[in-house]
Amino acid sequence: MFLIADRVSYTYNRRTGVEAVKALRDISVGIDRGSFTGVIGPNGCGKTTLLKLLAGVHTPDSGSISLDGRPLPTMSKRYVARRIAVVPQETHPAFEYTVLEMALMGRHPHLGPFQLEGPADLAIAGEALAATGTSHLAERSYMSLSGGEKQRVIIASALTQSPEVLLLDEPTASLDLGYQLEVGLLLRRLNRERSATMVMATHDLNLAASLCDTLVLMRNGRVLASGNTADVLTSAMVRQLYDVEADVRVHELAGHLTVVPLGRLS
Amino acid sequence: MITVDSAGADGTPLPRRIPRSSIRGRLTATLLGFGMVALATCALAPLVGTTPISLTRALDPAIPFEQNVDAQIFFVARLPRVLAGALVGSALAAAGVVFQAMLRNPLATPFTLGVSAGASLGAMLVIVFGGALTFGSFSTVPAASLAGAAAATAVVYWLATRHGHAISTSVLLLAGVTLNSFLSAIIMFVQYLADFAQVYRAARWIMGDLDIGGYDTLIASLPLVIAAFALFAWLPSSLNLLSVDKDAAAARGVDVPRAQRLAFFSASLATSAAVSLAGPIGFVGIVVPHLVRLLVGVDHRIVLPASALFGAAFLVACDLVARTILSPVEIPVGIVTAMIGGPFFLWLLVRKS
Amino acid sequence: MASRTQKLIALVAVALAVFLLGTSLAQSREGGAGPGRIVSLVPAITEMLFAIGAGPQVVAVSSYDEFPAEVKALPKVGALLDPDTERILALRPDLVVVYGSQSDLQTQLERAHLRTFSYRHGGIATTLGTIRDIGVATGHRKESSDLVSSLQARLDAVRDRVKGRTRPRVVLVFERQAGTLREVYASGGVGFLHEMLDVAGGTNVFADVARESVQPSIETLLARAPDVILEVRASGLIEKTGADDADAWSALSSVPAVKNRRVHLLRGDYLVVPGPRLAMATEAFARALHPETFK
Repeated sequence: MFLIADRVSYTYNRRTGVEAVKALRDISVGIDRGSFTGVIGPNGCGKTTLLKLLAGVHTPDSGSISLDGRPLPTMSKRYVARRIAVVPQETHPAFEYTVLEMALMGRHPHLGPFQLEGPADLAIAGEALAATGTSHLAERSYMSLSGGEKQRVIIASALTQSPEVLLLDEPTASLDLGYQLEVGLLLRRLNRERSATMVMATHDLNLAASLCDTLVLMRNGRVLASGNTADVLTSAMVRQLYDVEADVRVHELAGHLTVVPLGRLS
Repeated sequence: MITVDSAGADGTPLPRRIPRSSIRGRLTATLLGFGMVALATCALAPLVGTTPISLTRALDPAIPFEQNVDAQIFFVARLPRVLAGALVGSALAAAGVVFQAMLRNPLATPFTLGVSAGASLGAMLVIVFGGALTFGSFSTVPAASLAGAAAATAVVYWLATRHGHAISTSVLLLAGVTLNSFLSAIIMFVQYLADFAQVYRAARWIMGDLDIGGYDTLIASLPLVIAAFALFAWLPSSLNLLSVDKDAAAARGVDVPRAQRLAFFSASLATSAAVSLAGPIGFVGIVVPHLVRLLVGVDHRIVLPASALFGAAFLVACDLVARTILSPVEIPVGIVTAMIGGPFFLWLLVRKS
Repeated sequence: MASRTQKLIALVAVALAVFLLGTSLAQSREGGAGPGRIVSLVPAITEMLFAIGAGPQVVAVSSYDEFPAEVKALPKVGALLDPDTERILALRPDLVVVYGSQSDLQTQLERAHLRTFSYRHGGIATTLGTIRDIGVATGHRKESSDLVSSLQARLDAVRDRVKGRTRPRVVLVFERQAGTLREVYASGGVGFLHEMLDVAGGTNVFADVARESVQPSIETLLARAPDVILEVRASGLIEKTGADDADAWSALSSVPAVKNRRVHLLRGDYLVVPGPRLAMATEAFARALHPETFK
């Protein structure tokens, strides 16, 4: 296990006690190096919180997160950032940064405190933009882009971090079908050809089925099940997770499991 | 480590465009450009004024200082004033940039969080109740306003960090705005207790005054401003990341609580020093950052130093206008900055919509 | 039936009674005995009232009144910005001295059928005129007239004393931030300070400014290069510090006043109140400007 969450709990607003939300209850998750793990569950189940804890953005109230055997707090934040990158669900910058500037921010953990980006950094950013099909937007203001374009730029800026682990929170949420496929293929390529470890939180069960070899099913801050996709993604599990009756079977042409919702359980 | 080659989803190579923009080049060019503007303004401003003076006569070492009116006007009246303007202008402009980034709000000013209200209250208390207290040759008004600013800073910080080390920017903003209102009410009350002369003096102090007439207060403020700028130097790339998203910044290696503390205290220090020296001169801390962003983009590594330089030039120029345009009457410099700032913002609004 | 003599006596008695009654009525209508209870919101006029003998009639004064000593025991009813109307009415005054700009207060008092005397701020002539007017209003016409004459005589005496002497160029400073030269406030070319300076044999360097006060910059002070710097301060905290902070002026060493050590600091509220003590103030100015005439 490469990236491990060991019996972690996390409560938002714990210190104030006002509107405290227990997001994660004593959960344990193990991510293998080079795997593509999907984190699935209904809204509010704790997917986003789990990703933030895995990246070291928040410290768990109890339990620990470790990377390659070392607990996160023993490593500097910059070091962790060079190995783990996050693609958040939404980004609303306060100023009108250009796409290139947004992408280059991913180089921050690789630069010294007063160091400016050099040609190598620019090249990495350029490649990341090209890989997400956003090169032509480099000088445009990020805020002026469409939802899909923004999402791809954010993925590019995570890629410029040159991480070993990529944590993605709903990466295809605003993308149209075409770009969903493209990003999906890009992620698979990164996973297969570059041995990047991927952890993807998503609502899109079919996307997860097509990309992920491992699934973690969460509900109410707890892990319901985890394991190989084939073993874990069953209609019984879907029923437990979403209260939805669904048909789960391997699609002949697609070559992977597909989930077709049939109706809501009353 | 993921490296990306420029191949498309299906493996075919995509046209690659390595972006050319070199921040190093842009930064150097910007600093040179703005630096020259600042230097030129500060060099020329002492030569201009209501009384014509001759620079050669002013610098003539043969004439004893007590008999050289030109030299006195240059060295006692104008030069300290220009230097104070440069110091205060750069401090307020830089503090404005930092507060705007930290609060993720382009409309934040150095005075949003109550620092200047604290300074004003300190000054007001001395003007009304301290009367003619002096410490040697130092008037107590600057010292009292510095103390007031420090107290306000401490209160806001305490309020914003009640629950944890990370500063919640929304709580910070709320605390600052509330403190502002509260202190303004106390200031009004103190003015109510004052007599006419004191009320007038207090009102006048609030309009800002760079005519320091000597180097004492300037030298006293200098260490504070230098310290603030030394702290500022560590901030720009963190400010970029913070102003995009707090959690994303943390995920990119920024120690968010530390960066926020650094930003808050350095900007408060710069503001406190500036306000205790010259009173709360408004609009510099918001007009200059916006103008600079229009010219050089929003990367804080360029915007912060450029704003400091441009802020110096801007305030010195405003003070020049203030002391010459209605000669022999002088307009308080805060009025000139407001007259320029107001229309500028209207224009920005119109432009955006 | 009364005799003719008795009828005559009765007639004379009635006529006398009517006559006496009439005159006493007329007197009180004229205010011949004067208003019994006066409230004064204006310190300058309070001084005038005491100087013309109306002191015993004063029942309340403003928050800023300090002279003469009798006012310390009197109740205070506010001032320009915060007159305590209720308290004023509760004192049942016959005359209330108010500022010309206190129109709301005047309206309120008139509605309560109270007489008001409106104060106008101005130069020496206005001040003397006000003394006369308040004398009439309070039934001390003769005392006020005498006071005006004596003040005028003293002013004329000062004028004569300094006649023919070179008039130094003076900056008359009445306020600044202690210990520094920041926020200097000087008398402009209008107002009683300027006029007193003129009588005392000085030329105001800011005579060209058509306002009562000027806030000159350091540069302006250097450029105008006065021969004398005259600082006036109302008494109070200045006295407590004891230090004479005229040292602040030493930074402007090219100014003749500093070079020749003609920087004078005069203390006392008589210097800044346009009232009966303005002759004393003018004499103080003259003493500072032309000391040799007072040997």
